[in-house]
Amino acid sequence: METLGILDEIQALVCDKLQVVSYKWLSRNFLVSSNAAKSCSFFYIRLLQQFSEKHGSELEVVYSVSGWLKNNPSVYHIRLVSRPKLSEAKGDFDDNCSVYSVQACIPKDPAALWNAEFVQAEELFKQPPTVVNCLRDNRFCGVINSFVKRNPEGTSVSTAFLQAKSEGAPAPFRNNSAHQTDTIPLPQHKKIQQSSPNISLQSPNVVKDIKSESHGAGARDQGSKPSADKEKDPELPATKKIKGTSGTGGSLASMWGRASIKSKPISAPTEISDCAPNSVATAEAQIFAREAVENENSDDDDGENVKFKRASNGEGSRKRRVVFDFSDDEDECKDAVSLASPDPPKSKSSINPQESSKSALLQKNNLNFVEQNKDDLMVKEETNIESKKLFTKESVVSNDKESGISSSDKIESRIPQNDAVMKGEVINVAPNSPKRKKVFKTCIDERGREVTEVVWEGDEAEKKPDSSTIKKSDNGTVNTIVNRPSTAKKSPAIGGTAPSNPTGKAGNKKAGNKDPKQGNIMSFFKK
Amino acid sequence: MAAMEVDPVNNHLQRKQAHYVSLDENFMIHKETYRGQQYSQIYFARLELMRTLIYSLLPNWKPHLPVRRVLGLEGGKECILVGTLYKDMKLKPSILDEYSKERSATPLVKPHNFTHPDDYLVLEDESGRVKLRGTVLSPSVYVTGNVVALHGKETGAGDYLVEDILEAGLPPQLELPYKSGWLCKNRLNVDCTGEDKYVVFVSGLNVGSNSSNPLQFQLFVDHITGHLGDEKVQSIAAQIVQVVIAGNSVEVPRGLLNGQNLASKDQSRLSEPIKEVDILLTQIAAGIPLDIMPGPNDPANFSLPQQPLHRCLFPGSAAYNTFRSCTNPHSFDLDNVRFLGTSGQNIDDLEKYSEANDKLAFLERTLRWRHLAPTAPNTLGCYPFTDKDPFLMESCPHVYFIGNQDRYETRLIKEYKEVDGKLFSAGSEGQVVRLICIPRFSETGTAVVLKFFLVIVVELEKSRMPCSQFWDPVQLITT
Repeated sequence: METLGILDEIQALVCDKLQVVSYKWLSRNFLVSSNAAKSCSFFYIRLLQQFSEKHGSELEVVYSVSGWLKNNPSVYHIRLVSRPKLSEAKGDFDDNCSVYSVQACIPKDPAALWNAEFVQAEELFKQPPTVVNCLRDNRFCGVINSFVKRNPEGTSVSTAFLQAKSEGAPAPFRNNSAHQTDTIPLPQHKKIQQSSPNISLQSPNVVKDIKSESHGAGARDQGSKPSADKEKDPELPATKKIKGTSGTGGSLASMWGRASIKSKPISAPTEISDCAPNSVATAEAQIFAREAVENENSDDDDGENVKFKRASNGEGSRKRRVVFDFSDDEDECKDAVSLASPDPPKSKSSINPQESSKSALLQKNNLNFVEQNKDDLMVKEETNIESKKLFTKESVVSNDKESGISSSDKIESRIPQNDAVMKGEVINVAPNSPKRKKVFKTCIDERGREVTEVVWEGDEAEKKPDSSTIKKSDNGTVNTIVNRPSTAKKSPAIGGTAPSNPTGKAGNKKAGNKDPKQGNIMSFFKK
Repeated sequence: MAAMEVDPVNNHLQRKQAHYVSLDENFMIHKETYRGQQYSQIYFARLELMRTLIYSLLPNWKPHLPVRRVLGLEGGKECILVGTLYKDMKLKPSILDEYSKERSATPLVKPHNFTHPDDYLVLEDESGRVKLRGTVLSPSVYVTGNVVALHGKETGAGDYLVEDILEAGLPPQLELPYKSGWLCKNRLNVDCTGEDKYVVFVSGLNVGSNSSNPLQFQLFVDHITGHLGDEKVQSIAAQIVQVVIAGNSVEVPRGLLNGQNLASKDQSRLSEPIKEVDILLTQIAAGIPLDIMPGPNDPANFSLPQQPLHRCLFPGSAAYNTFRSCTNPHSFDLDNVRFLGTSGQNIDDLEKYSEANDKLAFLERTLRWRHLAPTAPNTLGCYPFTDKDPFLMESCPHVYFIGNQDRYETRLIKEYKEVDGKLFSAGSEGQVVRLICIPRFSETGTAVVLKFFLVIVVELEKSRMPCSQFWDPVQLITT
């Protein structure tokens, strides 16, 4: 008989292994190993009851007593008691008791009663999300709830909500407001984008998530960001394509901020992997939206737009242009203060080579690139920029090679400094579009602070003021974190609020992708 | 007894369902952008909205008196002023003190009361400020941030002598769905058996702290999901339709968060409590709808309104459609019964800056002031909204709860309205609110189970009288 077999096993566990066998542990354990006819916990409780009756004298049994307190009927009490105290406990309650667990002796720490069960729960929990086990479907529960649905992919559940809503299907379960379902997956997207540049590990997951979400994302986009959405949708396929091509090795392609190009329709990325070294023309023509899934970043309260440069392994062979883009709300939020502190401009160049050989390679390439294409780039940049809307913050990184990225980068983000630095190192390899030489400029700003900026030769620095002031652009300060392009437009440069160390700004942009015309205007106001 | 739905094949009970509508939209921060704005805008929004409200109440209060702005005060003439109160407190900690203390290790600040007999109130509106005098207004009751109307006159010294005060009062409340019954020999018979539904409130799990006992929480989970006990016990569990976790679910080991880089073993220590919570929440979410709110110690943002805990923290439980991560404060409708609550920060802050007999008195005051957190942003961290104040209560909840309190307390507030010489306490103007203080589970092992069902109303000669007391919550204690 099964039951007998189980009883023997319990005996072995309790006496020999000195394990605490609780009814739940038992039910989970024996479901796995045997096909018990009944999946109800009653069965196992009764089993323990039988066992305890049989061997009760050698072992300790803990009972759970529950019920309404006799002397205080508004209190429902659940208590675990050992046998000696059982009758006394029963007197306090007017309800029932049942066997909770059986063990060789009562442990000193009551939590030890729970331990074996928790270990089991933890193991069940760690199984891959697609496995439905007894923890996840609650099968031993006496009360079943048919409305519970579980989806291992998380987001699809909410997508289902959304679709159900849109179809007007009355959901049998909770109806959250549309927003709620919207916003729940959104931060998730954002999370994906912001995850650290542990690229190779993450890319498969991210890609998978993106794919699963993309259809949902499309729908959500419509709702959330009208401005960005239109551009976004055509970008989605492009994005996917990018991912397809980038394929393996650390395609960070999936981690993006926003769709970068709003002004330009995003043409399908010409292939990334094989831009010719002097596809300056290509680079110029193509602005890739390396955006990951979501543009909904702007929904997030801190609106992170982190663009990761595709830190691919095979940099040398890839020529891609990394486009960084910024908050969708630029037009509305020109005054928004980015609270991220920009990376120290000069540190980038120094850090990169130390980072890895890869970075060193990139750096080297970068320099080469700089030398070669400086003028070309400048020209290109101008044309590029003109073609964009003024307020888009993309920083077009010219690059035939992705290595040709200057360390000062046009990453614009509003993430805190640390993250920026971390990612920046990877990203910094992204080429800046214009290759100009960087020089350091020290000046005293309006507020009496000494400001050292990394400036593109002959170009305006764009400075992002600290968080308390409005940003003004500045002489081509290239900080690693890019500022909103709108700052470029702000006319007078307020004193350089960018000390050589990053202040809390989101980042100045590099000279470069910004509109050179703007730059010129800036210089008019600038010192 | 109305039968529970019992699944005959497996002898399982079916759990009850309730229709849930979330009202957290107001507390979500979507498109807010920080442009460097200061808090003046939220105060202005608050003043504007509440002033409009109070102006609508003035005709019922003292219609004969003129309403003035602060700068329009004329000496000696009685008038009404509407503005925001500011309480000048001697003992209120200043940011500079906190900065200097911050340099040292950060122990949890023990909240104690900062009131002092010398505190005085000042009324402020857009035009100016005036100091308030008078015995009617007790500074220990009010806090900075209340918007009230004051009747009084300007004294020779330039102060305003207050004679009477008008608060906004309870907001209007949606009528509860009711069920009519009949009187039979003076006993009320209503067939409402089998319709009982329960909502369980729990807070302060503090998983990961020394005080939390995982066995207690596991017992709790087993009970509400229906694992524990025999059929009778499980039938009670089957009536639970919603679980609300009101903050402080996890306690992250603070010692690790000192700005240094974490070793990998420390990193796993940091995330263990959350993983444990996820496993436990998976067990709940697999059976019952669950709302989890962030609290002061949770990994969420600090300033109110706290945004929902991120789903990635709960990879196991977030997969269920029953799992809902909510804002703090949290508001929802369940079968048309409105619930509103916070994880306790608003009331704890009130406790530091004002005095009352018990916590429930603070709750009642916030209802009467129609504002969840009047001390935000003065002493309570708050997001600098530019065009709204999300803590204004536009409609009165039926159940108002706060989490992370020392002990369980509850009270029923009934607002009476007189119509045709009879007092009514249910209806559109006579609000009824159940106030609940949820104790910390890690310390007390107590959760609160609230039965909510239809209000019993008796129709008697075209008037309605509420009959029985309803909704006495029940304490669920595990040891």
